[in-house]
Amino acid sequence: MLLAFMFTSSIHANTIDITVVTAAAEDRKSAGKSFAGITVIPDRPVQRAVELALYESAILFETLEVEAKLHQLQLSGDSNLESQLSNTPTGGMLILDLPAAQMKTVARQANAMQRVAINVRHSDSNLRESLCLPYIFHTIPSDRMYFDALGQFLIYRGWRKVLLVQGPTTEDTVRAESMVKSLKKFGVTIVDQRTFTLSHHPDDRDENKPEFLTGGVSYDVVAVIDTQKDYGRYLQYSTRSARPVVGDVGLTPASWHFALERYGAPQLNERYRRFKSDITPGPQVAMTDAEFAAWSAVKLVTNSLNTRPPGTELDVMSLLHDPASQVDLYKGTRGSMRHWNHQLRQPILLTTPDTVVAVAPMPKFLHPKHYVDTLGIDEPESGCQLPPNAQQ
Amino acid sequence: MNIDTVMQKVHTLAAPVFAIGAMFLLSLFSLATTPAAAATAVITNERSGDLILMNESGDTIDVIPLCSRPRGMARNSTDNTLYIACSDDGEVLEFNFNTKEVDRVFSKLSGAMSLALHHPSNRLLVSNEGAARATVINLLNAEVLATLETGHEPDGVVFSKEGDLIFVASENAGMVHVYDGNTYQPIKRLITNLRPRRLAVRENELWVSSEMGSRVEIFDTASLIKKDEIIFAPRGFRSEQLTPVDILFDQTGSTAFIALGSANHVVIVDAANRKILKYILVGRRPWGLGLTEDGKRLFVLNGLSDDVTIINTDNRRPVRTSRAGLVPHSVEIIE
Repeated sequence: MLLAFMFTSSIHANTIDITVVTAAAEDRKSAGKSFAGITVIPDRPVQRAVELALYESAILFETLEVEAKLHQLQLSGDSNLESQLSNTPTGGMLILDLPAAQMKTVARQANAMQRVAINVRHSDSNLRESLCLPYIFHTIPSDRMYFDALGQFLIYRGWRKVLLVQGPTTEDTVRAESMVKSLKKFGVTIVDQRTFTLSHHPDDRDENKPEFLTGGVSYDVVAVIDTQKDYGRYLQYSTRSARPVVGDVGLTPASWHFALERYGAPQLNERYRRFKSDITPGPQVAMTDAEFAAWSAVKLVTNSLNTRPPGTELDVMSLLHDPASQVDLYKGTRGSMRHWNHQLRQPILLTTPDTVVAVAPMPKFLHPKHYVDTLGIDEPESGCQLPPNAQQ
Repeated sequence: MNIDTVMQKVHTLAAPVFAIGAMFLLSLFSLATTPAAAATAVITNERSGDLILMNESGDTIDVIPLCSRPRGMARNSTDNTLYIACSDDGEVLEFNFNTKEVDRVFSKLSGAMSLALHHPSNRLLVSNEGAARATVINLLNAEVLATLETGHEPDGVVFSKEGDLIFVASENAGMVHVYDGNTYQPIKRLITNLRPRRLAVRENELWVSSEMGSRVEIFDTASLIKKDEIIFAPRGFRSEQLTPVDILFDQTGSTAFIALGSANHVVIVDAANRKILKYILVGRRPWGLGLTEDGKRLFVLNGLSDDVTIINTDNRRPVRTSRAGLVPHSVEIIE
């Protein structure tokens, strides 16, 4: 079902169409709940962040006589995907607020139909290679960007010996591979790699008791991969040696945070809290990384209007491919698209639940071309090599 | 904020301690090392909520507790009155430098951030950061003359020399709002590069620093069309690390000083031909700039290292870096 908001005329020469694509209710997994029912991962639809980005840009649209239309497409499993997507406007942008498997399917179909589609939710580095398609873009950082930031931080602090503890799921294994690549890239030594279990059985104590799981080896930090955030949170203050915990708990890389106090971030956080909210949420509420990625995608398009020669056609594909297109991410360094794998480059925050400890790239990690390209898969090593101008 | 309380604090706590310290320092160093240092730099410190008074040699001569988050300032050079935006109080204070007293408080100015004074017409222009507007105040009777709508996060404000135009930069919208300075009607919105921060006017030019666009854009104030831009490239920095904020012209408008934020440099530019004359390394994240009347000393406020770098503009070298308060924001020089 395709719903449209905020439109006044049906055909307009300077129109930007944005469609938020969501899953059918039955396909939305109940993520973010631990065994005990405690919500550990905030999981909100990205719609509000998209609306916020459009709200911020309203005065720019008015000045440039651009009309922005926001649509919503809730996919239905009953009808054909192609026919559902064919209702979305050409030349616009689809924001895919979908579970991983469905996102991949929809992305491929959108690409075949020449619809620009943005992955705002999935950081799996492999998607940057398997979805190496001209019409697909990623504004959520890849796991390699997150873990490169962490690797730089560890080297910067001189914490070179890491005990890696990971969960048992396939996703944990994939993400652990990304982490190992990132940490080794900057010279961190993985002293051992161990897998925890959720079992409480005494026979499994080497894998379920933090003191045993982290014993018998010398390390500077414990790095945790625990995608479900179900076990890792019990590791802090329970490791065999008194060492910091980083990764999915403790010091965590993130793209956005409520406590970022520079670069204008407090203004954005304040605006988000007040925007379309019956009750202003508490000061610790901020955009999730998925919401921030959706906000970034819209802002990349609207910010690029600032540097676009007046009168040029507002086709999202050409805006995203224009090397002059930049986005003010409120993180001190502007963001832009990496043309080779369509990943939004951006600084990464190293955070704890109550503060931002550092903003990567860390000092002295230099890149020959772009300040933030020490984070993530760089052009020479990327398996995805889209041309600078992938327009057909 | 109760002004009586503030002033009491100044007299009972700060004044004696710093007066004694300053006299001691003056007798030991200042008189011996520099010629009669007549100018005083007044510095707002966002986080410590105070003013620091500093002489030309970089010695702190007084610390005055003031308000919550003092940021932008404007100076009336004829009578040494300073207007100081107290952002978290939503107030602008009229501070008499001669008596060190707050004479008046302009309130209900939510998120007051940057200030500009048009002395001939006695008008003060205030950007209201969180409220997406700017306010024009008649200083004679403290009346609000106009409330000007802007994009989100308005920052830099400036009047044209004659006061017939008002410019307000909106960081979030990426534009400068141009208002008629007499009727307060909107005239035009100038589209800028990303995150326009501060504005400065010379001759028929409006200079706009684009913090995230890493450049200064120059608009013609008559045609309101962009005519030029200056792109910076100090050695060892990538373009995206250059985040220009404050722009300051010397008395004649022939030389521009621009603080480059994350690049930790100040740049001196020949304003007429846009030629870059010198990059000078200062402290961390320089934003605020101030110049002595003779143009010989440039004060650079380093917001992340909580200090002030004083630059000799003749040989374009730093003279001294002195401790400021916490997060120094703006500086005005009183002669």
